[in-house]
Amino acid sequence: MRLTWVVVGIGLALAGCGGSSGPRKKLVAFSQCNNSEPYRAAQNARLTKLLAAQPDVQLVIADAQQDNSKQIGQIEAFIRQKPDLLIVAPNERAPLTEVMGRAFHAGIPVICLERDIVQPNYTSYIRSDNREIGRMAGQYIVDYLTKKNGAPRGNIVQIRGLLGVEGEINRYEGAQEVLAKYPGIRTVHEAVADWIQAKAKDRMTEALRAEPKIDVVYAHNDPMAVGAYLAAKDLGREKEMIFIGVDGLSGPGGGIQKVADGILAATFVYPLCVDKAVEIGTRILREPGFQPEKVYTINSVMVTPENAARLEKAAE
Amino acid sequence: MKRLRKLKSVLGLAGIILIAILVSPVAADGSNIFLQAGNLTDVLRQMSVIGIIAVAMTFVILTAGIDLSVGSILAFATCLTGMFITRSSPGSSHFAQAALAVTVAVGASALVGAANGVVISAFRIQPFIVSLASMIGVRGLAKWLSKNENIDIGFGSDAAASFAGFVNQKVVIVGAFAVLAAIFWIVLDRTVFGRYVRAIGDNEKAGRYSGLPIRSVKIAVYTLSGLLTGIAGVLYAAENHQGNPNAGVAYELDAIAAVVIGGTSLMGGSGSIAGTIVGTLIMGVLTNILRLRNVDSNVEMMVKAVIIVLAVAIQKSEKAE
Repeated sequence: MRLTWVVVGIGLALAGCGGSSGPRKKLVAFSQCNNSEPYRAAQNARLTKLLAAQPDVQLVIADAQQDNSKQIGQIEAFIRQKPDLLIVAPNERAPLTEVMGRAFHAGIPVICLERDIVQPNYTSYIRSDNREIGRMAGQYIVDYLTKKNGAPRGNIVQIRGLLGVEGEINRYEGAQEVLAKYPGIRTVHEAVADWIQAKAKDRMTEALRAEPKIDVVYAHNDPMAVGAYLAAKDLGREKEMIFIGVDGLSGPGGGIQKVADGILAATFVYPLCVDKAVEIGTRILREPGFQPEKVYTINSVMVTPENAARLEKAAE
Repeated sequence: MKRLRKLKSVLGLAGIILIAILVSPVAADGSNIFLQAGNLTDVLRQMSVIGIIAVAMTFVILTAGIDLSVGSILAFATCLTGMFITRSSPGSSHFAQAALAVTVAVGASALVGAANGVVISAFRIQPFIVSLASMIGVRGLAKWLSKNENIDIGFGSDAAASFAGFVNQKVVIVGAFAVLAAIFWIVLDRTVFGRYVRAIGDNEKAGRYSGLPIRSVKIAVYTLSGLLTGIAGVLYAAENHQGNPNAGVAYELDAIAAVVIGGTSLMGGSGSIAGTIVGTLIMGVLTNILRLRNVDSNVEMMVKAVIIVLAVAIQKSEKAE
């Protein structure tokens, strides 16, 4: 029986933590699909930092741990609290569509971050453009090979992410759009490494065994580009080719630093979309009658050794 | 004694609800957010899928068994639902197509459960091992069937979308849980089958000497586990608008937690459906109030761990008294 009271006591103590009292602040609720991806962690950190500048705003982040049902439940709990702004980075398109519609129709301003849903159940959708990133990468490859070999010709290896995912499809097809115009440029080897650095290293080792001459490795994210570099380094061939990636996160392990270190020749920033979300969100919170656009597209930036240091500083 | 213990887990639930009311944030109009009808029904809806699995798990655990494969069977059922509801089948009505999808998903899940039961009773292998193997194998089966991709159920006006739209209503999902829980409460407490289930868990050897149909009861119990998990899978597919081969990871543990919090002993023989419903509600209310208070989801996991251990410890200490 005494134990029962222990439980009640602990329950009260725990339920008491989280949240804060005092005058009601503006509540910004962020439903994040998975904190354990570096890109997502960078979004959280950036959002926290930007909103810290507004003392009358309270930010709450819920981590759905890559679980659709959990994210639906967390958004439902947010809807009950009627936040002044709800930002959602959906785990997957279909499962989140309905619950975001409920929030939107309950009159809560909803910003959909980076990943689209099936119906436009949001006030604004802030996206980045993976196909454009693919095109930029393709053009970079063409320019590099033209400079290196005197004409647009050469051998490239592509390390692909998880097949069937929007980011993977468009980063691949965007590059193909450009590369298809140059018959001298051949994709001699394509491997799937599911976004994972360790897998990319294994797949690249096989590519290196099979291909005597490689000019460019285009990996669809930075960790895979680094994995490919490590494989080439093991075989002493890392000077023979260049490595390019996508994502361009800041921070010590991020792609920008890898470019600064000379491991990657270039990477393309996949925008966090958070700066725009704060800009739009702040106007929604403070300007009655503000009508945001339905869709904002954030452009990518190419990271090269020349601008890496500057971009790293700007992202801090 | 038994009645007293049941009362105690209800007291635990009452305690948690009281805490939830006390610490719930307050809406702009001054009302208690936890107590809003919309929120209370959110809680019921969110716990229904696990609740249905936990009802079946109660039968399994009462026979001193365990079923680790339910999370994988759930994924398998969502994939079958998705595949059959989105198949183009000109000429058949939406209802007929939905009926077919549900029948296939639930039937195939029941078959998987039956296979678990047959292997367990025919080869006398421990349920933990058989259902562990099944958990791995059925997950593979679901991924293979769906080619590793989610099967999206759209939002249009076809059979798939109207099926999801109908099933994904609170009244349907919570209603399914309530009806199934009521049926199997009666089955456990009022039928010969229910008595056999308890008797086998209590003392299998004695049951064998007194001529109980141990083999068929065990097969029935694991079939039931597959069947109810299949129904949960159909609901899950509608709620998430997709068949998902990665759904339900670790759901077996959530279901087992609900069962043991409800006072059912892993040693078999003692426990009740009422306890399991209370256990599911405790977890549901706890999750809800932590989310309403915006407690970090990692902390949420730690709190749940503490609650599971304490709930069982209380029941133990009360037994000793």
